[in-house]
Amino acid sequence: MKSKLFRFLSLAAIAAITLGARPANAAKIHVVTTLTDLADFARNIGGDHVEVRSLATGIEDTHGVPMKPSFVPLLNRADLIVLVGFDCEHSFLPGLLEASRNPGIQKGKPGYVDCSEGITPLEVPKSTDHSEGDVHPGGNPHYLLDPVLAKTAIQNIYNALVAIAPQYQADFEHNRDAYLARLDAKIAAWETEAVPLKGAKIVSYHNHWAYFVKRFGMEYFGTIELKPGIDPTPRHIEELITEMKAEHVSIVVREPQFPEKVPALIAQQTGATLVKLPIMPGGVPHTDTYIEMMDYIVHTMVAAIK
Amino acid sequence: MQEKFEQREREMEARFDKKTAAQDAEIAALKKQLAGTATNPPVPPAPSVTATASTNTVTPDQFKDLSDKVDQVAEAQKKTLMSEFNPSIGLVGETIFSGNSKGSDQTGSDRPGGFDVWQRSIELNVAASVDPFAKGYAVINASADSATGDTTLSVEEAAIQTTSLPWNLELKAGLFFGEFGRLAYIHDHELPFVNRPLVLDQYIGGESKTAGAQVSWLLPTAHYVNLTAGFGDQFGDIPNNPGTYRSLSEVNYFGRLSTYFDLTPNWQLETGISGLINPNSGEGLGGVLVQPNGVSTLTEKARRLAGFDVKLSYVPLQNNQFQSFTWGTEVLYSDNRYLSDPNGIPSSGDEFYENVGSAGLYSYITYKWSRQWSAGFLFDWVQSDQNNSEVTAAYSPYITLALSHWNQLRLQYTHTEPNAATGYQPSDAVYLQWTWIIGSHSHGWQQR
Repeated sequence: MKSKLFRFLSLAAIAAITLGARPANAAKIHVVTTLTDLADFARNIGGDHVEVRSLATGIEDTHGVPMKPSFVPLLNRADLIVLVGFDCEHSFLPGLLEASRNPGIQKGKPGYVDCSEGITPLEVPKSTDHSEGDVHPGGNPHYLLDPVLAKTAIQNIYNALVAIAPQYQADFEHNRDAYLARLDAKIAAWETEAVPLKGAKIVSYHNHWAYFVKRFGMEYFGTIELKPGIDPTPRHIEELITEMKAEHVSIVVREPQFPEKVPALIAQQTGATLVKLPIMPGGVPHTDTYIEMMDYIVHTMVAAIK
Repeated sequence: MQEKFEQREREMEARFDKKTAAQDAEIAALKKQLAGTATNPPVPPAPSVTATASTNTVTPDQFKDLSDKVDQVAEAQKKTLMSEFNPSIGLVGETIFSGNSKGSDQTGSDRPGGFDVWQRSIELNVAASVDPFAKGYAVINASADSATGDTTLSVEEAAIQTTSLPWNLELKAGLFFGEFGRLAYIHDHELPFVNRPLVLDQYIGGESKTAGAQVSWLLPTAHYVNLTAGFGDQFGDIPNNPGTYRSLSEVNYFGRLSTYFDLTPNWQLETGISGLINPNSGEGLGGVLVQPNGVSTLTEKARRLAGFDVKLSYVPLQNNQFQSFTWGTEVLYSDNRYLSDPNGIPSSGDEFYENVGSAGLYSYITYKWSRQWSAGFLFDWVQSDQNNSEVTAAYSPYITLALSHWNQLRLQYTHTEPNAATGYQPSDAVYLQWTWIIGSHSHGWQQR
């Protein structure tokens, strides 16, 4: 009886190890990213050495990516989890990491790649009291909408890939440098194209654009949300319209995951131009890469004030 | 290979130390430069000076920008507060205002009929990492007694959970809600409606509280399948009474197998089967139970429960914070063994054993049409696990207003229809539930 039990347990253990382990000759590094911009960076740096999956598809609210059980086996097999940081993913990533049973990608482990390392955050709250809404204690997490700060995220991804696969460092370095060269050229082009945006005031549904407006010299006038994560009250909408008219706010930004009704009403009442802008690649059609997304955002913003 | 990795590790450590030292030196140099320019402010370049000649001067705007950046970096490096060792702490408050058309003697409820205010939950949640291998958490709840209004404090959960076992395993031990079905291990205030479904109340005894251990195995497959098995000295609010000695057959054993399907990017299906067995209930769940005739008694001698659960959800990727739909159903079958004593006199010779097979289910739908508003309907149907001719059905429409993520109001109407065999009366009740959260909150795996 004991020997049968021992034999069964041994077979079960061997099966678990065999089924769960990656083959020694597995060439690809399994990278899972939370958002699509990070996936784009990882693919560009990793090239043929990585297999990249993004939990988000691009059309979600970054705070509303669903906790699907189908993500669990993906994370269970991941070598790296790449995230934005600053608590951007607090609504879905902690639960998924808990369920993943992958010790290598838990917070603090080498497989946990927080791309906010090295970023000085804007809008670090003085208080995390809920009277201020759903604030991020680490600061505004939407730094990827500043293409210059995106380069820090790219470097963090590069560092993580080199740490896990130093034998491919030369390839990663070549890919990173090539991508950064393309990005730098685009940044120069965007800065030129965005000159008319200097001083232009915008209102958006959620506070996604703090880093973007700082980079391109715009002014963030306010948000349609009463507070982060709190829908606007009629009084807030009324006050916002009055203030926007007085200050000649020219652009109302609606991110695709928010309803159109209130932003359209505000734009109509204030004479501002309503624009729909993605916050990550894939958020609107023809923005499948980070560069395509930023192209779309800059072009649309500039067209809005002309 | 080992040597190579160790050498690589040493090289990386050396590079990291060098980089940190260089950054510290840079910060010190910048601070020195700022101190110098503060006493000798930079002179703006004269218009005739060429661009190359002006590269060593700092304009007032650049000086301010640089100063701000250095302050931010220096400030960020200062944070080593003692409070960072504190666990995350949150408190949930839940108050239920209700009006019931019948008294508790006519409905069998443990709350009075007519007007009632019940502070059902004052729930303190504490959680933190124990070490790199485990996390610990506790849920301490205070609830008001219906008769005296006094608040009773109890520990609902206090357990340690591993975080780094190999082979996709996770072990939980202590006092916790064992994994059974979909809603049995969800706390009252997190339910999609006001009251726990009748079948869970009757067959499990409220939440699936157990003191024991549970192991969970995520199957190493590309498709999500999870298997959980556990044991405990009780399963539900009412503990077993083992007498003076508890044998292994008097322990509760439970388990669940669950899986999930992405039907489309927006439609999800989650399903599972669960089982619970207590081969020997000892002195019985709740002891010797006097029956409604006031004479005969029933003592549970073995407990067996099986369940099937399914949840179909519409969670549109683009605007799931503003729109969603859920249909959830659980069907349970109870097959308990009782010692029946018709004359209520122990060992008088008329006692006999009987198995009572009973079924029950609940099914609900909830539709959300804005970030704040959702509404739904819950259907309950259950045969008593002690006498399957006693049947109760209930119908509950409800509407929920989420003022914010941490502040929620729910209005629910329930019509309860017990049959004559139960000895209870049909009743109508209205509930207004107010739930709020302060402090830390996390979106754990069970809250998905």
